[in-house]
Amino acid sequence: MSRLLRRLAWSAFVVWAVVSIAFAVNALVPGDPARMVAGAQARPADVARIREQLGLNATPLVQYARFWKRLVHVGPRIIDPKATSDHATCAVLIPLGRSAVHLDFGKSFQKRQAVVDLVAVRLPRTFALAVAGMLVQLLFGVATGVVAATRRGSWLDRLLVGSSLLGISAPTFLIALLLQYVFARELGWLPLDGFGKTVAEHARCLVLPAVTLGVYGAAYYTRLVRDEMAVLLQQDWVRTARAKGLSPMRVVLRHALRNALLPITTAAGLDFGALMGGAVVTETVFRWPGLGELSVEATFDRDGPILLACVVVTSVAIVASNLLVDLAYSRLDPRVR
Amino acid sequence: MRSIRTRREGPSRARRLAPAALAACAAGLLAVPLGCSQALPGPLPSAHGDDAPPRRGGTLHLATFADIRGLDPAGPVDGLNLAVIHLIFAGLVDYDAHANPVPELADHWDIEDGGRTYRFVLRQGVRMQDGSELTAEDVKRSAERALRPSTPDPMASYFQAIVGYDAFAAGKAEHLEGVVVEGRYIVSFYLKEPDATFLYLMAMHTLRPTCKSAGDRYLDTWLPCGAGPFKLEPGGWQRGVSLRLVRHGGYFRPGQPYLDAVEWTYHMGSIAQKLRFESGQLDVARDLSEPDIARYRADPRWNALGLFEADTTVYGESMNTRMPPFDNVEIRRAVAAAIDREHYRLTQPNRISVLNQALPGAIADADPSFPAQRHDYAAALEHMRKAGYPYDPATGKGGWPRPIEYVLYDKGAFVFTAQLLQQDLARIGLRIRLRLVSYPTFITLQERAGAAAMSPGNDQLDYLDPSAVFEPLFTTASISPEGTQNTAFYSNPRLDDLVARAHREMNPAARKALYREADAIVCDEAPWAFTFGYHFFDVHQPYVHGLGANPTGVFDTSGVWLDRAGDALDRVLDGGLR
Amino acid sequence: MADPRAVARFVKNRSAVAGAAIVAALLAFAVLGPLLAHHGPLESDFVHGVSPDGLPVGPSAEFPLGADRIFRDVFARLAFAGRLSLLIAVAATAIASAIGGTVGIVAGYYEGVRVRVPWPALVGAAGAVAAASLGHAGAGLLVLAVGAGASLARRMAGPHVDVDGLLMRLVDVLLAFPFLLLVMAIGAALERTTAVTIFVTLGVTGWPGIARVLRAKTLQVRAQEYVVASRALGQSALRVMVKHVLPNVAGPFVVTATVQVAQMIVADSILSYLGVGISPPTPTWGRMLFEGQDYYQAAPWLVLAPGVAILLAVWGFNMLGEGLRDAFDPHEA
Repeated sequence: MSRLLRRLAWSAFVVWAVVSIAFAVNALVPGDPARMVAGAQARPADVARIREQLGLNATPLVQYARFWKRLVHVGPRIIDPKATSDHATCAVLIPLGRSAVHLDFGKSFQKRQAVVDLVAVRLPRTFALAVAGMLVQLLFGVATGVVAATRRGSWLDRLLVGSSLLGISAPTFLIALLLQYVFARELGWLPLDGFGKTVAEHARCLVLPAVTLGVYGAAYYTRLVRDEMAVLLQQDWVRTARAKGLSPMRVVLRHALRNALLPITTAAGLDFGALMGGAVVTETVFRWPGLGELSVEATFDRDGPILLACVVVTSVAIVASNLLVDLAYSRLDPRVR
Repeated sequence: MRSIRTRREGPSRARRLAPAALAACAAGLLAVPLGCSQALPGPLPSAHGDDAPPRRGGTLHLATFADIRGLDPAGPVDGLNLAVIHLIFAGLVDYDAHANPVPELADHWDIEDGGRTYRFVLRQGVRMQDGSELTAEDVKRSAERALRPSTPDPMASYFQAIVGYDAFAAGKAEHLEGVVVEGRYIVSFYLKEPDATFLYLMAMHTLRPTCKSAGDRYLDTWLPCGAGPFKLEPGGWQRGVSLRLVRHGGYFRPGQPYLDAVEWTYHMGSIAQKLRFESGQLDVARDLSEPDIARYRADPRWNALGLFEADTTVYGESMNTRMPPFDNVEIRRAVAAAIDREHYRLTQPNRISVLNQALPGAIADADPSFPAQRHDYAAALEHMRKAGYPYDPATGKGGWPRPIEYVLYDKGAFVFTAQLLQQDLARIGLRIRLRLVSYPTFITLQERAGAAAMSPGNDQLDYLDPSAVFEPLFTTASISPEGTQNTAFYSNPRLDDLVARAHREMNPAARKALYREADAIVCDEAPWAFTFGYHFFDVHQPYVHGLGANPTGVFDTSGVWLDRAGDALDRVLDGGLR
Repeated sequence: MADPRAVARFVKNRSAVAGAAIVAALLAFAVLGPLLAHHGPLESDFVHGVSPDGLPVGPSAEFPLGADRIFRDVFARLAFAGRLSLLIAVAATAIASAIGGTVGIVAGYYEGVRVRVPWPALVGAAGAVAAASLGHAGAGLLVLAVGAGASLARRMAGPHVDVDGLLMRLVDVLLAFPFLLLVMAIGAALERTTAVTIFVTLGVTGWPGIARVLRAKTLQVRAQEYVVASRALGQSALRVMVKHVLPNVAGPFVVTATVQVAQMIVADSILSYLGVGISPPTPTWGRMLFEGQDYYQAAPWLVLAPGVAILLAVWGFNMLGEGLRDAFDPHEA
């Protein structure tokens, strides 16, 4: 129990550290957010006025204090936009009777919208992409791993292992381009990019980016499952069973998958946390309007509120999945501490 | 002995790199040469010919590659949202096809007191989109709303010529003294001094009248409402996804607008636009890639359906006159003569046109006798010799001894033209070293006095007058420690005088002569080596009529009407297909 | 170092040999290619490189792999880019491996133990971080060196610190940090993007992954009898780490490094794609891919040439790495 508390404390520390570093970096990197809002041709007097409106004239330390003070605070349960503008950019996180815990990322410089709204709209999309990507990874990976193991040494095995090697690192945008070209342009089965307007369209638009993401991790799981099965298949009892004419495949499969469960869970957890940060390049190429695309835009526009919100969400997601993986790990395999 | 499965590191999130299924790779590689030979599909026909009268009805489907940031004319505006703002909000003044100011919501205007007073008489019976009538009060309220210090308006200081602006912008005055309501339909603007540019400023989007719901203070949550041909209904704008405008039934021009609605889809890349355009789901394609434009122009079926938008940009190489070697005017002249602008044009032959002087295509007169900048290699070498740094192309000796840093950012045509510039200047003994930075860093460096010796300069006309080029780019008054568009830090008292006089000169012919002389000075002294102008190219289906090139360069669909062959097809396209 | 049995296993492994051959071929192409090309990699040819409709010419006698968007020879650029891409990949991997290896081994070795960190080293490290964040990286390094030197010279008192915990938290923080922001920050801090800044950037963002892998392996090795024995015999930690731990983690180390080289090649192309890569006109494969993508239908060679080069390099290095692992450690199949 105390270990859990210690881990939680460390996780909170990591989130705080990452956000603080991001804040510092954002404040120190050259480029004036007010200028980016006003446009390249705005005159200094107008830029100065906008800078004042955005609250950027305060020192970085004051801005830092303001950010944390505002991030999580207690406020009224129901926010009436007409009554007061104080909580206009807040979202209710945890209701506490008449009050509630508010979450407030401020207002985007460029889009002039409450950042919580932006994040709330885009988070589910990145979540969907992360989940879909993971499913594709696991499905592809385990399936190809099993097939490769059973045909060990054959051309099929080599082909699958070879493509898994390619899979581990090839440029996302190249793969995305190829997939788009084959499935969207030539065959026309799937949409080229974007998000669509209905749920059915969302699902169709999700396929190519999920497959793009999925193949990378699939390669990893392929190797893992294949290796596990290969080891098992070499054992005596398997050979004996085969010599007797029996097919031990089902038993082997169960054993192999059970043994591989631990590293697969570990990798999947870490992977998921990272995917929640938004697969930046994939989202950009497929114009999937998730957090990744949002944070890239915000980085280039110097839109601090959005950037920091994305950093908070990402680091919480990564830290949370790390934590879960650690807990699952120590449960699943008592040998490794 | 099986080794202990230790915790393995998962894929590093920094290298979120998708894998290539070998099969997809191979298929793709095979498919590519097949795809090369694909011919363009034919245009979808119009029901009647071009000469037929305009028909009412239909929805125009448009798309763009990015998102828009806001729809308030008093807020930050860029090329993308201006196309929408232009439809929702009409102004007192607009332009005709020849870039002359003409009355729009104003019935007429009078210029008095030698150009210090502009009195606008409004049309009567103009209905705003909330049903109320446009009055002079609305004009004054909208102007004050836009220029208030709490409004994030990046163009407020353009109106500092109005009497009382300083006190109002500082928050000391509650109202703008120089805007006076003199009758139900009469509003006058009193200026501090004679101003020949004020009509052009009124034609901009900033002061366009807003409905009473806008109040007198800017709010991010206000639903845009103006006097333009199309209106935005609540829920019509899904941020980052789509936007739908519907006809404003009370628009002051009878019978217009012809369209029932205009719909935009956002975040659609150029390939997706092309595909949807070819299938009829998109009516105009604006963001085509350069090779695609070439194919459309070469195809006789599509040739007449292409449209060049107005060229309202000035691109050039900005040379910092306060940093060596560009403090030497002969070296700047050498640069202006060394650049082969035809080569620049070949990097995007369908969207770039050569520019040799300061005024963009939309407002320039073609005058072959004008002493513009020209590519002349021999003259360039001669200028280098006069500068004191002769260069011998045969031996490669001479020229400026140190490399010169050229700061640029990674978007648009600049990256390619900069590499061509490198090659052109190497031939006269100037070695350029490219420094690629992010856009915000680029802006910061370019505008700091000692930071960038050379950089790509560009300007987009805010309004259709030469003052929009000369005043921000080449006058001393424009230079400020907090940032300036005069990235060459050029200061010439004679030029300042000419431009200031032209600002006050109410006689058009005299004004033109003053700007011509200013242009000649700038071409000769070359703080910028002018290189090209950029314009969009649109392709539309034959059933899209009335699409013209708005002289301001905004994508203007206010006069469009649709005439799709097959009414059933029309209904299907409006309702179902996306 | 080269165990003859390992070499034999390597040679027998067909894919390992194939990997080695591909890598060698790419190196040869990068070194010799620019010398064999007709045109320089930075010269535009407006006479022969422009097709009649104004687009770059395709593969032909004059331009074996076609011309690029400003009519330069793709073959020459591809070979020239190979030099830089491979150099960046190898250098970045070297940096990431050095840092990651050190951190991983130290963290794994001291796992579960509180280590006495001498005051000068602690002060030196803190001072270095502070100086670096204020922009004086050089001063920071100096302070760090003084601190480290002082603590190595004499036995100094100091607090007992959970080194493993600290280092792993640092790894966590770095892994959770947004890559793009970090890259932009480094680029801005270092004033310009050159090959050096690129591989420093990639090295600095790449080491946490290696550290984790090596820490896990070090934990394994630490439990082995001979390590336990030498520690019991009182050998200094440094000695044990260098003499016993390092050779035994060499296997996964080399494998991870070779695979990392492949990943670094792609990371460089991602940097170009995101607009924070090396300045033109110097080509890298990633940059060429980025510049050519608009034209992939009209001029597919612009994408195919660098794309195939990247895929070959990645494939080759991966097979090489796998082959090395199989050669050194056949049981960990």
